[in-house]
Order: sequence, then C-alpha cells, then structure tokens
Amino acid sequence: MDQHRVTITFTLNGKSVTMDVPGAMNALTLIRERLKLKGTKEGCGIGECGACTILVEGRAVNACLMLAAQLDGRDVQTVEGLAHEEGLSLLQESFVKHHAVQCGFCTPGLLMSAKALLAENPCPDKAAIAQAISGNICRCTGYQQIFDSIRHATGAPTGEEKT
Amino acid sequence: MKDFAYVRPKNLVEALSFLHEYGHDTKIIAGGTDVVVDLRAGVIKPEYLLDVSRLAELKGIQLRSDGLWVGAGVTLSEIFSSEVLECHAPALKKCAATFASKQIRNVATIGGNVAHCSPCADTIPPLVIHDADVVLASINGIRQLPLEHVVSGPYTCALPDQEIIMGFILKPAAVTHADFQKIGRRKALATARISMSYMARKDFRGKISFFRFSLGACTPTPRQWPMVEELLAGKVPTENLIWKAARLLSEKMIEITGRRSSTVYKEPAIQGLFVKMLYPMV
Repeated sequence: MDQHRVTITFTLNGKSVTMDVPGAMNALTLIRERLKLKGTKEGCGIGECGACTILVEGRAVNACLMLAAQLDGRDVQTVEGLAHEEGLSLLQESFVKHHAVQCGFCTPGLLMSAKALLAENPCPDKAAIAQAISGNICRCTGYQQIFDSIRHATGAPTGEEKT
Repeated sequence: MKDFAYVRPKNLVEALSFLHEYGHDTKIIAGGTDVVVDLRAGVIKPEYLLDVSRLAELKGIQLRSDGLWVGAGVTLSEIFSSEVLECHAPALKKCAATFASKQIRNVATIGGNVAHCSPCADTIPPLVIHDADVVLASINGIRQLPLEHVVSGPYTCALPDQEIIMGFILKPAAVTHADFQKIGRRKALATARISMSYMARKDFRGKISFFRFSLGACTPTPRQWPMVEELLAGKVPTENLIWKAARLLSEKMIEITGRRSSTVYKEPAIQGLFVKMLYPMV
C-alpha cells in the first residue's frame, strides 16, 4: 500500500467527509486548499499565533501543527460551523457588538478558542478567559474588546466591575 | 515539507514491528507540536512518520506498586486535570498549567516533550525531582532507564531507532510544598529561559525533612543538584538560608556552563526565581 496517500473520514462541521490526502499534508492546508474553507487562517505556521485554531473532538488545536491524516475518525469544527441558518451564533454576535474585530485575521481562531472555553466553563472569569486565549495573538484590539465579547456571550455583565 | 509516508499502527506490537524494520527511516509523531515544526523547517526528513497518538498502551496515569505511572501518550491537558498527579506529583501538574498554550497542551504529550530533548523542556525538571525512570519498549522487550540516561544532550535522545518511550515511572512523594516556576519572554508559548521545580516536606519542628530540586533550560542536560539539596536538608527554612542556597545554585550552574554573555542576566535571575519559588516555606 502506498502510504504517501491516506484515505480519511471525519466529521466536518456536522457533515461526514471522506477523502484521499497526502501523508505530508497538514490539517490547515486540507481545510483551506482542499476544502476551500478560508475562515481558518495561517499566521505563523508554527503554533504560536493561534490564527489556525480549530476544534477537534471539541478541543482547541492548532491546525498548522496537525497532519490532515490525524483528523481521521475525528469530529472537526471550523469557524464556518459556528453560524446557523438563522444567522450568527451568540458568540459571533457578541464579537460584532463589542467591536472585537479590527483587521479580522485573528478572529476565527479566537472564536474557536472561546467556543472551546465556553463549552468547558460556561461562566469563565477574566483569568479563565486569559488562560484560554493566551495562545491567540491579536495585534489590533489590545484584547479588552475580546474579553468583553466572551464575557458577554456568557450573559455576564461586561467591563471591569467587581463581582 | 518533504514527502513522507504516514503510518498509524493499531497497537503497540504493530508499532514495534514497524520500528524493528523501518526504525532508521522513521520519525515518531504523537501531538506533532515539535515534529511538524521540524518537518516544516526541513530539520528532519523522515521516510515514514509513525503516529503513536492513539495507542492505548501509551495512555493512563496510575499509582501502581512500582511507582506512579504516566503514559508517554498522556497530553499536557490530561496532566493538568489529573487528580492523581495533584496528590502525588503536584509540581508536574503545575508545569502543565503554564506549558505553551491551550491548543498545544491539548495535543502535546509528555513522551514527546522528553523525546525531543530540548534543554528547556518544561516537563523535565518535575520528572527529575521524582527520580523518573523511562520505560522503553522494542520488539525485544521492555527496559527501564533513568531519565538522565535518555536525554543525553541538547536535542539528542539516546534511544535506538527501534525503541519507543512507553511511559514514565515516578517516585510518588507526600510533600507539604511543591512548585514549578519559569521565566520566558511571554506568558504563554514562551520557551523557558530558566525553569525550576522543587518539592519539600517540613516536619513538625519546622525543619526540611525532604527536599528535591531541579533546574531546567540552564544546563545542556537534566541533572540533580545534590549540593543544594544537602544544604537545605534538616534545616529550618529562613530567608537567609534560601538566599544562601540560591547563591550556591547559581555558582554551581556557572561551574557547568562557564561564564557566558548571558550569565550577567542568568545569575541574579536564577537566584531571584529560586528565592521566589521557595519563599512559601519560610
């Protein structure tokens, strides 16, 4: 068997996908170039910026550091899977409302890190949010608006008020 | 990235048979957080990539009769959420809290962190203070080596190509104090410039009845610091005593590395971090 190509089957944003991929292809290239889902970004390509964050089995991972072949049998979510037919998700709405997006390059990765956090901890405090998104770099916003967006998406009041 | 074949064995025996035949041309991948970076940079150019991330034999954290077992395939996230480690190896759990980023912790494994042999690997100082043995498997059987014998040089792993790290056996310890501290350029994802870990027990008289310490990122390979441990053993920890131990530590470190341009920074930084880490004992 030629193992330079691998057949993989995985669930992508709720739909089952089967395809042949080169063994040496990373998950990010598969998502962007083969599946044409351009929401997931490549920033640094070495796991430092978090722009390529996707969820695998509900856990945030860097798609640039994972091989496409390693997605076999897994449940994968990209930023394209967040919105539903009626519109954006609460989390996305919150990012819009609180001006958490400037250039937008980091946004898909931050949304995915935030989604993983909220699934694990529906009411995170500021420290928990900082811990969850410390692997995502944003060079525009200064992060405050991102903190506000994630806190607001949980129904908690925003800002720096004491709780 | 050079083309390579991707192989995912169903079980350990299949992995070991593959390594027996093709080990020389194979690189093992688990979380991929170091391997994929090296593949991309062209630092490694294997013919085969053997994916061990799903091998059940490399999983699990258990207190067994021969010690505390931590499987090589255990991720840093799993270490962080382990109650067994909280109780029996708290410094290891603490190092997982600040390891890289959430995305990396979710896939990076302790076996990979050790096998990569970076002098600044975060899991190594906590493993050293627990006198960790590395459990190695090949088609010929299983053997156990002290961690210091496996990490033989910076980015140099002493293992033959046919062998795989199955896991680690730590000496569990009931301690009153334990910590892991590091200094990097950024809170998340920072490569440790200096890291250190300790555990200690204070007896009813307030004396240090047990003390283990290890320093990371400052010397080419992991090592124990018996002189620092001997200085503190049996004494009541005071601020003065901890400073004395800190000065001894930096002196011994410089004996190993020689005075380099970075020593001007590292000497006071090591002392400061050591005192900060041990201060809760005072």
